[in-house]
Amino acid sequence: MTTGNPSMPTAVAKRPGGGGTTPSRNLRRWGRGKGRLLYVLPAAVFLAVLSFFPLIQLIRMSVSSVTAATLNGSWDFTGLANFNAGLQQGDLSRAFFNTVIFVIVVTVLGLVGGLAAAIALRHSGRISALLLGIMVFVWALPPVVNGSVWKFLLGDSGLINGLIQATGMADKPVPFLYDEHFALISVALVNSWAIIPFNALVFRAAVLGIPAETFEAAQLDGAGPWQEIRHVLLPAVRPTSLVLAVLTVVYAFRSFDFIYVMTYGGPGTSTNTLPFLGYLQAFVRFDYGLGSATAVLTVLMVLVLAFVYARSVRKEENE
Amino acid sequence: MAKSTRTGPGPVIWTLRAVLFLLYGVPILWIILTSLKNPSDVISSQASLLFKPTLTAYTEALGSGGLVSAGIQSLTIAAGTTIVTLLVAIPAAYGLARVGGRITTVALGLLIVLQMTPQTATVIPLFQIFGSWGMLDQRLGVIMADSALLIPFAVLLLRPFFRAVPDALEEAGAIDGARPWRIFTSIVLPVARNGVATTGTLVFLLSWGEFLYAINFLLSPGSYPLSALLAQQVSAFGINWPGLMALAVLTSIPILILFIFTYRLLREGLTLGAVK
Repeated sequence: MTTGNPSMPTAVAKRPGGGGTTPSRNLRRWGRGKGRLLYVLPAAVFLAVLSFFPLIQLIRMSVSSVTAATLNGSWDFTGLANFNAGLQQGDLSRAFFNTVIFVIVVTVLGLVGGLAAAIALRHSGRISALLLGIMVFVWALPPVVNGSVWKFLLGDSGLINGLIQATGMADKPVPFLYDEHFALISVALVNSWAIIPFNALVFRAAVLGIPAETFEAAQLDGAGPWQEIRHVLLPAVRPTSLVLAVLTVVYAFRSFDFIYVMTYGGPGTSTNTLPFLGYLQAFVRFDYGLGSATAVLTVLMVLVLAFVYARSVRKEENE
Repeated sequence: MAKSTRTGPGPVIWTLRAVLFLLYGVPILWIILTSLKNPSDVISSQASLLFKPTLTAYTEALGSGGLVSAGIQSLTIAAGTTIVTLLVAIPAAYGLARVGGRITTVALGLLIVLQMTPQTATVIPLFQIFGSWGMLDQRLGVIMADSALLIPFAVLLLRPFFRAVPDALEEAGAIDGARPWRIFTSIVLPVARNGVATTGTLVFLLSWGEFLYAINFLLSPGSYPLSALLAQQVSAFGINWPGLMALAVLTSIPILILFIFTYRLLREGLTLGAVK
């Protein structure tokens, strides 16, 4: 469920530091301004110790030789050897390629599906309320649960293969999760399925924000449902979809739980994305240095994504 | 509310709704059905609808005893994480909502980066750090790691709720002679309580489902929470499907209960954050 954060945090508080309208002594003692940064202190300390310090350790490990034996000893500095090793084994480029495909599939399906669901559920009524409730509940379920369910449904004698064979579309079970070509797409489809409810919820709020008069005006002008969607709905949700697109990219990029549960990176290396590869290298092959190097690369990619996100949010707030 | 009065939902809309129901309703029904089957029924054909319902999977799962302790472990970790996260994130979100300037911009940027960082990038160094601190195989380690994971999310989600609290309310409190801390606890917090409830719920849901830290920092499956147990069993064997689906259902029941009470709040809170 770890979606990106749905709020828009980058805009700096626009109100000036001190209103200054009623300058009483109390107000001044109250210290409107920087004094209240003290409230941030506990979080700053907590994250410095348990987030930033680990990231520094990660960077140190990525340029050292760290194995299970030396994990808590002293590490030999090896420069970029871990990065080179990752590249030469071919794992890195393969994982990078997988990550790109995975992110594209999840983002496109997540956005299109989310918008379609939002349009389908935009009329108020008992049925759409119930459907929305079911979808948000599915989104709220732990990814482990959803991943297990789909592993079961996509199995050789699972529901999906049962239906496919019953309708005669194929006479052998489709190896959704253990075929080199299908596995990555299957997991990406399930990941899109898991994020669509959240995107639908956000898109729906944007759709409901369109004034009723706009629709009435469109109908007076003789617009059919498709024209309504094209000329009224789509322009109205454009700013939302920009931010949502970045959030979905991040969600897909970070995806770990579904891969772990459904394919564990396999068959072979076919569902290794960059974050998952880093995990395997560290905790299955016990080469913590190599895993750290891969993880450092993912953090660098996150820095780029965060920059894009901050810019798209600021752009929307200015519109 | 935008409602096209003339046309109402057309056939395309109804088709879409049917597809949504197939995609989201059927899997839930299916795991419940499967969890009520005998393992032997599932081996022959998983797609059959005709079977004698049995609670074997549940009694077996519950009878093994490990499940109850896993449930307690889940509850402790999720509740502990929620408390720690809220205690740290609420004041931080308030501070960042009220103070502008460069420090806030930088802080928000760092929070976004942390929130986007894949868990792999923290599980590797934390494993080493907890090892040297003697915090492996302890609930406290998992709670601390989960909190560090969710605090950025919580701060960013809470901040808009605090920004929505009018300045005038605080000024009135200050004129009445209330001290800053009192203004925060008895004026601001009650107004922003929906945000706190929404955030608390989401943090609980996320830490209930978190398994990567649990599986790596807790060294024996005996002390795993439900999510880690499920992850380990599904990726390891995946044979006893009724048993696994029973475990999945049992893992989901607390989520269902929480969801029923907080759905309205979530629906509003999530969209409020996202569309301002």
